[in-house]
Amino acid sequence: MAEVKRAMIEFHPGFLLLIGALLAAVLPQRIRRTVMVLAPLLGIIAVFHLKYGTVWTYRFINQIDLVILKVDQLSWMFGLIFSIMALLGNIYALHIKKAGESAAGLAYAGSSLGVVFAGDWITLIFFWELMAVFSTLLIWYRKVPQAIGAGFRYILVHFCGGNILLAGIFIKVMMGETAITALTGNHDAGFWLILLGIAINAAIPPLHAWLTDAYPEGTVTGSVFLSAFTTKVAVYCLIRVFPGTEFLTWAGVIMALYGVVYAVLENDIRRLLAYHIISQVGYMVAAVGMGTNLSLNGASAHAFSHILYKSLLFMGAGAVILSTGRRKISELGGFFRRAPATVVLYIIGAFSISGVPLFNGFISKSMIISAASHNHMPVVELLLYLASIGTFLSISLKLPYFMFFGSDRGIKPEKIPINMYVAMAGGAFLCILYGVFPSLLYQYLPFAAEYEPFTMDHVISTIQLLAATLAVFWIFIPKLGGEPTVSVDTDWFYRRPLIYLVNAAVNGVLKIQEAAGVHGKRALSKINSFFANPLKWIPLSTMRPVEPVYSEDKYRFPVGIIILSGIMVFMMVLALVYWSV
Amino acid sequence: MSKKKGLVISGVILALSVLIEAVFVDHHVEYWWHGLIGFDVIYGFVGCVAIIVISKKLGKLFIQRKEDYYGGGEKGDD
Repeated sequence: MAEVKRAMIEFHPGFLLLIGALLAAVLPQRIRRTVMVLAPLLGIIAVFHLKYGTVWTYRFINQIDLVILKVDQLSWMFGLIFSIMALLGNIYALHIKKAGESAAGLAYAGSSLGVVFAGDWITLIFFWELMAVFSTLLIWYRKVPQAIGAGFRYILVHFCGGNILLAGIFIKVMMGETAITALTGNHDAGFWLILLGIAINAAIPPLHAWLTDAYPEGTVTGSVFLSAFTTKVAVYCLIRVFPGTEFLTWAGVIMALYGVVYAVLENDIRRLLAYHIISQVGYMVAAVGMGTNLSLNGASAHAFSHILYKSLLFMGAGAVILSTGRRKISELGGFFRRAPATVVLYIIGAFSISGVPLFNGFISKSMIISAASHNHMPVVELLLYLASIGTFLSISLKLPYFMFFGSDRGIKPEKIPINMYVAMAGGAFLCILYGVFPSLLYQYLPFAAEYEPFTMDHVISTIQLLAATLAVFWIFIPKLGGEPTVSVDTDWFYRRPLIYLVNAAVNGVLKIQEAAGVHGKRALSKINSFFANPLKWIPLSTMRPVEPVYSEDKYRFPVGIIILSGIMVFMMVLALVYWSV
Repeated sequence: MSKKKGLVISGVILALSVLIEAVFVDHHVEYWWHGLIGFDVIYGFVGCVAIIVISKKLGKLFIQRKEDYYGGGEKGDD
């Protein structure tokens, strides 16, 4: 088998998707559908044909080598899950009619793979910025004012983050370090700028609000892509560049709980799911901070699982929005009999994210919590454990109960396209497959560490924790329903005060302009007469007639002389430059 | 499903799981609470109540605003 592999030609999976995106943008819909399935499928095949250790290098300007493809265990594993996700997301989006939106989805996935396989900083930032652009299109294609506004805020934050990252990369490249290496332990400006740039994409509070602001505003199919790529690419970069950076552990714990608190309050179904992206990515960030082999494996595995179940949840939410036209928990409820497949598939995703045994969240989340315990961090262990209570409460109990069950509001869901069910079923299948056979995933984990998820101890503890949460849920049910409110988050700073600040600045400038106009005009009219007739400036002129008359021909150089002297000076400078070089 | 039924189901699962834990589980003890039988039940219960109460309190005090807070753009329109 290995021999056969060696004989194969290797392709960059990201480039395959980018080519697919180009084709999807120009081809008619029927052929476009083939491309949308074929490009990610070829991407998956290409990933399986990549060998560890493959490096593609290209000479760039100033003796800088671009490493466009660098395969090791970590990049291979993320390459695999991103290609699988590209396939599921594109199947989910097969019915959409806008060529641009299909192309944007493919290109977004392709540029994510570009970042994952990048071996140097310049390649990384190139694909990083491409991701920002294409993901924004997935929000804008919904074409309603609030989506356009959210898209603008999204790209504002991402261009800001991208530029911070770029500044850090400039520092690294100027020092001659173009290859991506672990920066843990450095504390120079490059370290902090790169960390800040990646932290924005990883949605670490208080830099997270772009996520919960924009993801619920994307198109039904676009948000599925959004939920999978940006934050997990950032997690990949954190694993690669900042393993063992201790304060990330605490940042991760705060993230995990921050998302939980907001999810309890949230009324918009996709925004609730988005807050649990932050919560789940918190586990991964905390694991990166611990920096042991087990915890880094946990972060990689959890990213892998998370992409599958979170996209499944967003697909389920998208199916609800598309079939009912409603997006608020307070407006949904009681139609589980009319959409049984959606309910079942959503619940599989919900059980996966909650870490119910035999679903794929269990095999990765428990790894991170165990890593905290092995790393002698009891507080981290208990707080992450606490966050998983919140996950089960909001995603598996509150959301499905009030969305599908609860009081019947007479909702008659419309039929949704069959391809959406196919994608959801595919995601659900993988969630259960990896949950039942964790070794399928563990064999690809990049670091050397042994872990056994299905010990009696783990399983019973998890069941007890979840059952206790279930009991509390039943007691508190009247308090947990959706309330018609919005939650203010850190995006408040650029949605409220920033507007006043900009308005104040604009008004200030206008005031200055107005005052300058009024006073300037007054002053000008006072001195105007002197300029109109410079002879008035010479009070004691002997040649002065009674009323001095100013004549331009008499008192001013001909314009031609000025131009001639200008040309001469120019020629002399040119000649000087020409002969001196 | 009624409230009573839900509570009974979770109660049965809890009782069974504690029984199984007490009889069969070989604890891997890193800290004292890992060996405490039923610790996860108590932690789950107290933790979940704390999450709900604290979140709701924070929501009422600081976080929750009327739907038109950002200029009425938050209404569903799909």
